[in-house]
Amino acid sequence: MWLGSLVGLVTLLAPLVLSRSNLTVYILLGTAAMATIGVSLLMGYAGQVSLGQAAFYAIGSYTAALIALHGGSTVLGLVCAPVVAGLLAAVVGVPILRLRGHYLAFATLAFHLILLAVVGQVAFFGGDIGLQGIPPLGIAGHQLVASRSYAWLTWAGVALCLLVTRNIIASRPGRAMRALSTSEIAAESSGVPVTRYKLTVFALSAGFAGLAGGVYAFFLGYIAPGSFPVLLSFQFVVMAVVGGLGTIWGPVLGAGVITILVQVLNDLGTRPGMPTHAAAVFSYAVYALLLVLVLLFLPRGLLPATADLIGRFRRGDSAAGPPGGVPGRGHDVPPRSRAPAPDH
Amino acid sequence: MGSFVSYLVSGLAFGCSFALLGSGFVAIHRVTRVVNFAQGTFAVVAGLAAGSLLGDGLPHGLAEVVAILVAGVVGLAIGVVAVGKRGTPTLASLVITLGLGILAYAVEIMIWGDQPSSYPMVRGSVHVAGATVQKQYFVVIGAAIVVFLALGLFFAKTYLGKALSACASNPYAARLVGIDPVRMGILAFALGGLLGGLAGVLVTPLQPVSFDSDVALATNGFAAAIFGGLNKPSAALVGGLVLGVVEAMVAGYVNASYQTEVALALMLAVMIWQARKRTSLTEEVA
Repeated sequence: MWLGSLVGLVTLLAPLVLSRSNLTVYILLGTAAMATIGVSLLMGYAGQVSLGQAAFYAIGSYTAALIALHGGSTVLGLVCAPVVAGLLAAVVGVPILRLRGHYLAFATLAFHLILLAVVGQVAFFGGDIGLQGIPPLGIAGHQLVASRSYAWLTWAGVALCLLVTRNIIASRPGRAMRALSTSEIAAESSGVPVTRYKLTVFALSAGFAGLAGGVYAFFLGYIAPGSFPVLLSFQFVVMAVVGGLGTIWGPVLGAGVITILVQVLNDLGTRPGMPTHAAAVFSYAVYALLLVLVLLFLPRGLLPATADLIGRFRRGDSAAGPPGGVPGRGHDVPPRSRAPAPDH
Repeated sequence: MGSFVSYLVSGLAFGCSFALLGSGFVAIHRVTRVVNFAQGTFAVVAGLAAGSLLGDGLPHGLAEVVAILVAGVVGLAIGVVAVGKRGTPTLASLVITLGLGILAYAVEIMIWGDQPSSYPMVRGSVHVAGATVQKQYFVVIGAAIVVFLALGLFFAKTYLGKALSACASNPYAARLVGIDPVRMGILAFALGGLLGGLAGVLVTPLQPVSFDSDVALATNGFAAAIFGGLNKPSAALVGGLVLGVVEAMVAGYVNASYQTEVALALMLAVMIWQARKRTSLTEEVA
């Protein structure tokens, strides 16, 4: 418990000490964490692969921005962002979630590509140029302008997503969801409404991304289709896998590790004297190498692996076995669910 | 009439390249049950490599063949990482190929930069039924026909082809007769690399490629491959041709910017239609 409180405290105090540019990274880390929590919920617990999470991030952003730009209140925009993303996911999910495994992966990717193409062509969405001049978020007459307030807002959002995820996992539908990730037949025959639960989780995970997108739109004040490339969807998957699928804190850890690594390498790559493409090369290489190495050698992700190590260290032995008493490790995946939905 | 013929020919040519990419998906999926997300990478690598080899003064023919072989080696390498470790779950392999595709971005940018590039292969055009058609289109179609015939013979007549098919139909039985499914899986990746590379070499003169063209190429190839449920190369050919012609007609008669949406929507429709017949029972037990 003390570890959780410590993490919480550090998270709250961090905006007071971070520099302006670091604060931006901190906020984007938080929005990435929210979307990644959604991916982890969907992939790790419910066993469904999505390569389209950034599409819902974009939907959240556009919802918030359009409401604010058309004279609606910004708070309404922020509230509608996750709702619209979730509802659209529920609609799209009806046909798409009939697919499993790699079919679902490609279908969600296709959804993302179609969304980008449509947004880029419709004038109402600002076309390829995007939407500019999105007003800052105003809560009860106060306009949030300082980056610091956005940092707190973002991490409040992260906390909300974590709380929702934790409660769902521990609940009866959460158990049902984990059951359907291993075998839909077994779950269905035990009375789990498989289709309805899959749809609900898909919508919820999209809602997390939508909320993140809403915060992102108000913070940056400018969005365009180019802000949500396919690579962003891949990035959320990488973060989820690296952190540890089917863990509550894994997505936050994954988002943190990758964002910070990419940022450090980006600083390194843009120093004078480095080749022109160094920054891009570094960031692609980091995503790729971390993803592949973790999948091959730490298939459960960084968080469970670290927790194992700490548990082993505490008990002072090297015998393999389930370690206990490590915070944030209470909801480990059964080994099978890291290969969601067996496809043959 | 003239414009119809030119749309048709260009559609068939692009369809052939989708079919080649798609048959790469099929070759790999049949043997390993892995959908290779890096399939578009093969085409990009081969296209960029052929361009720079030609720039270095290698003659036509040799440069293209070397580029295709490079793609084959890349396929081999991706196969080793993705399926070489025994017991890697299928979906983990899928995400690994996705990761390797991103790694390829880094390598491609380092070698070739981030600008799209192209090169001429066969210059000039011919008149067919009132339309002016680039000769390159016929090169693509001709090469695809030859390769698909060769592929059919390879799977039906050669020992290696039969061994690959054996792993596809029953890996356990294949092991009993002394075929190593892991090695066959890696070889399948190399074959997928060669097929993807060929598509890249053929299509780059028509449409410049850059490091991030792989997503579009891979989705089109995948769309072609799912026509046969990812298991039949001949169905991938049909799928690719249908897709290519539909895209060309939409681009020609409706609006070029709807091309991608139509292709993707078609792919979604086919997948969902196919899923109607497939219950979770058949998928989990089979």
